[in-house]
Amino acid sequence: MLDLARKSRRTGLSPIVLALPLVLFVLLCLSSATFRSLENLANVNSQIAALMIAALGQGIVAISGGIDLSVGSVMSLTSAILVTADPAWGVPLALAMGVCVGLVNGFGVTLFRVHPLVMTLATMTFVQGVALLLHPVPGGTVPSYLRTLAVSQVAGLPAALFWCAAAILLAWYLLNRSRFGMRTYAVGANPVSAGRNGIAVTRLKVACFVLCSLSAVVAGIFLTARVGAGDATMGNPYSLDTVTAMALGGVQLAGGTGSVLGIVAGVITLGLMSNGMNLLGVSPFLRAAVTGALLLVAIGLQRREAIGA
Amino acid sequence: MISFDKVTKRFGSNLALRDVSFDCDAGTVHAITGENGAGKSTLMNLLAGVFPADGGEIRLRGKPISPERPADARRLGISTIFQELTLLPNLTVAENLFLGREPLRLGTIDRSTMRERARSMIARLGSRIDIDAYCGELSVADQHLVEIAKGVSVDAEIFIFDEPTAALNAPEVEKLGELLASLRAAGKLVFYVSHRLDEIFRFCDRVSVLKDGQHVETRATKATTRDELVSLMVGRVLSQFFPARPARRDAAPVALSVEDLRVDADGPQVSFELRFGEIVGLAGLEGQGQRDIIRALSGLEPGAGGKVTKSGEAGPTPIGTDVVKTALAGIGFVPEDRKTEGLYLPLSIGENITLGMLRRLPIWRMVRGRPHVIADLIRRLNVRSAGARQAVGELSGGNQQKVMIGRWLAAGIDVLLLEEPTRGVDVGAKAEIYGLLREFTDGGGAVLTVSSELLELLGLCDRILVVRRNEIVAELDGAQATEEDVMRYALVGHADA
Amino acid sequence: MTGDAISPSGATGQRLRAVGRTLLSLPFAYAATAILLLVAYFMRPALLSPMLLLLIVRQAAPLGIAVLGQSLCMRVLSLDLSIGGVIVGVSYILTSGLLPYSEPVLLLIAVAFGIAVGLLNAFFITRLRASSVIVTLAVTLVITGVAVAFSQLRSPGDAPEILRQIVRLKIGIVPVVLVVWAALLVAVAVFIRWSVFGRYVDAIGANPRAAWVSGIPYVRVVTVVHVLSSLFSVFAGFLLIGFVGVGSMDLGRDLALNSLAAVILGGVTFGSGKGGVLGPTVAALMLTFSFNLLTSLGLGEPAKLMLQGIIIGVAAAAYSVQRKN
Repeated sequence: MLDLARKSRRTGLSPIVLALPLVLFVLLCLSSATFRSLENLANVNSQIAALMIAALGQGIVAISGGIDLSVGSVMSLTSAILVTADPAWGVPLALAMGVCVGLVNGFGVTLFRVHPLVMTLATMTFVQGVALLLHPVPGGTVPSYLRTLAVSQVAGLPAALFWCAAAILLAWYLLNRSRFGMRTYAVGANPVSAGRNGIAVTRLKVACFVLCSLSAVVAGIFLTARVGAGDATMGNPYSLDTVTAMALGGVQLAGGTGSVLGIVAGVITLGLMSNGMNLLGVSPFLRAAVTGALLLVAIGLQRREAIGA
Repeated sequence: MISFDKVTKRFGSNLALRDVSFDCDAGTVHAITGENGAGKSTLMNLLAGVFPADGGEIRLRGKPISPERPADARRLGISTIFQELTLLPNLTVAENLFLGREPLRLGTIDRSTMRERARSMIARLGSRIDIDAYCGELSVADQHLVEIAKGVSVDAEIFIFDEPTAALNAPEVEKLGELLASLRAAGKLVFYVSHRLDEIFRFCDRVSVLKDGQHVETRATKATTRDELVSLMVGRVLSQFFPARPARRDAAPVALSVEDLRVDADGPQVSFELRFGEIVGLAGLEGQGQRDIIRALSGLEPGAGGKVTKSGEAGPTPIGTDVVKTALAGIGFVPEDRKTEGLYLPLSIGENITLGMLRRLPIWRMVRGRPHVIADLIRRLNVRSAGARQAVGELSGGNQQKVMIGRWLAAGIDVLLLEEPTRGVDVGAKAEIYGLLREFTDGGGAVLTVSSELLELLGLCDRILVVRRNEIVAELDGAQATEEDVMRYALVGHADA
Repeated sequence: MTGDAISPSGATGQRLRAVGRTLLSLPFAYAATAILLLVAYFMRPALLSPMLLLLIVRQAAPLGIAVLGQSLCMRVLSLDLSIGGVIVGVSYILTSGLLPYSEPVLLLIAVAFGIAVGLLNAFFITRLRASSVIVTLAVTLVITGVAVAFSQLRSPGDAPEILRQIVRLKIGIVPVVLVVWAALLVAVAVFIRWSVFGRYVDAIGANPRAAWVSGIPYVRVVTVVHVLSSLFSVFAGFLLIGFVGVGSMDLGRDLALNSLAAVILGGVTFGSGKGGVLGPTVAALMLTFSFNLLTSLGLGEPAKLMLQGIIIGVAAAAYSVQRKN
């Protein structure tokens, strides 16, 4: 426990962050028999997988001191690309698109010094436009191999679990074991100091934005494959949901503080809430309102010095 | 090994370095000294790649170099221990020591190697800092030690120490001396930026003196004396700058009364009075609590207890808990850092000054510009500018400082709290600012100031309160106190040492 | 001889360069409007008929009013993306029939609702120092979520008669809507230019830390800014509801982003009021005109979004590069 408190300077983890999903889980188990069923648990897993993948990317950008509101639009455009492009080219095209969006965000924020919120708001709008242009009406078919990858079961375990596990492992390696991760924490805490330590701050920040967009593309691929159809507005809620999840997980929007474990806890918290309200028959629109309220609470509790956007 | 040849650097209209030329050899510890604002750090920052020079040439072994980033400088074999800390609070000591050159094994950071080497680096300085502690938890002195450990562990030919001892205690300074000797023995060139004369004579082989951005002279430390160095640094007799002190006014009404103020929840209490018509200075070594006291009075960082009252026409007003209320009570606070906390750089001189005058008005009140009042004030302050519409950001440091003080004078306040009243200001403007402050107190105002330049406090203040470890340990008469008096109290806390 | 010949032309060159600099420092909205009008002149001259232009100007009024609030926010380094949420809320209050009150009372409730949202935004932004973008987006999420959930119970109905009447009224050929817009515009311009509040807004924009240190009532000023912005959103909502005639949950959805685009295009960037009140207003007109042009060229919603995105990104980048120089 002492170790947790000490490390929270870096990880942002607190007992509340970790306890929240567990308490929710227990409460839901006690209050709903449907919730306890294996099918529903598998369902929760596949519901949160896309959010998990995208939120980990968002978390990396946030730790580097930025934020990316274009995550949702990138997921939508991915969906549009997958059902309109040649099946063989869909995935590479989507990934290339992710790299482009990430580069635009990254260079806009670093070289042109646009505030990350404004910059990614701009790309969010633009990318949404492209997605609608490409695929105005929901529908179309997803390449069958993707569908298999997203919905089949391996050894009785749903594929979504493997998508989540892979994303978590990769993020954990990047943030906790690689040079890139340590430098990301450094840049997020103080880019000027990090620069004086010989770190290429611009390059690193751009890399974070590219990673985030790529993770949004992967999240979009999974979501499209799971739903089985393309939808150019599919990603809409994800821009803010990823921010909510990581803020719930103790990631500080000011940069330099956050952890994979926290983000996972935040995603699970959000996923359980959503699933629970669904089971309790709460209107899906009210669920959006609750997410908004949750976001307000989560960022209201953050410590932040700067005044402004 | 390094030659500076007519190196010039300007910040806006301010010429920070002018045609600086001298040479430095390998295997020496070379001191760079001068008054605050003489250009010592600027010169070193050019070498460290913090910003490029505007003119002239820096040569490394005869080859011109122009590092544009700290990374470039490091590649050229130049390692810098910056005055401002560059440690990251959210990384451990070991991680900070290897940031930017992390040892790898199979694509992952090799933590065991990293920690092992970190431990030996810290041990070399004779320190017991926990290498797994986050740097944000360390004391300022320990952070400086880590900074030094990081700087010297780099495989470099040239090392720059920028005011390394500001936060260190005596035994650590001793260790630093040994470290410098070992670097000299290894044939390195060490730049030692400091204005602590005893350290310069103990640690350094040669010394270059800068004054007002110009190189005055370079000498071997063995061939010079303390007094010679001081005269090279100042060059003018300081007493001429300061306005005459009026007779002491012990009977004048109290402007500010401070009772049992604590700046630290479990620290000592501070009590004193500030009277109308006097200038009182808080003296002491760096970081002993002077700044915390003045910030607590301003309400910016409220103290942890105690009572501060300001007397005025409407009776005594409690202050120091809220910035807005403190300003309304007629107290102006002039921060040390003009650019980030003091001025509105993009706004004009007129706008900057007007903002002070609006203090008591409700926000919906319509106001008319008062060009005459502002023009008068600009004239009175002797602000050299193209007119009231010029942006403050385009002015020189001295003129900016005058605008910042002028804003409060225009606001009609009667107590002024000042941090570093003349930081980064040229000599001429310093005298004018001292004159302004004296004019303000002669007109019935009261001034409380903090300054790291002791000579400034000795020349300007009526009374000097010496602060040590968040406590006032002595009150001295400004007209009679000497540098030695103040330093004795500041260092040991009592008169006999 | 040559020296004499050169010096006057040098002076002219200098003056020309100065003029060029001034032109370059003007809000992009002016140049963009000129270009747009030229494009329209060649491709869709019909759009330039006085009657159509007047209609477009009238159509721009809600955006123009919202822009007034948004530009205030940006001057104090904040943003208000809750405009759409406020309008949805207003729409629901006025048209659902859930509240059994007379029309004037409903309008008052809507105004009170706007003030409440402004206060809520300001509380999070000033007291908890939360990011304004996130706060106002979250507030939007909450308001729209609640309103849409409630509209499952009872869907929105007709707009109040007063609003439908007002938007149709004309003085001569000038719609009353434009008079209202112009009045608000002048009021804001005068207030910002001459009041203590306006000076404080400039100060906070130029250096919030210095404003704080020197005892400027930062919290009060930013709170007033956000309340004003929400109030302007309410007024914009009134006009939109009057135009459409019935309540809708889609009303004003793109107003937040459009107002942001217009403000940036109009020369007001974070912390600087250089474009004044006129720059963003011209930009609001220009944006509305450009959307009409896009529609007449057969390009719909996607093109509109792409244009918005490009405007926000490119203009913000261009200004910050300009400021760096």
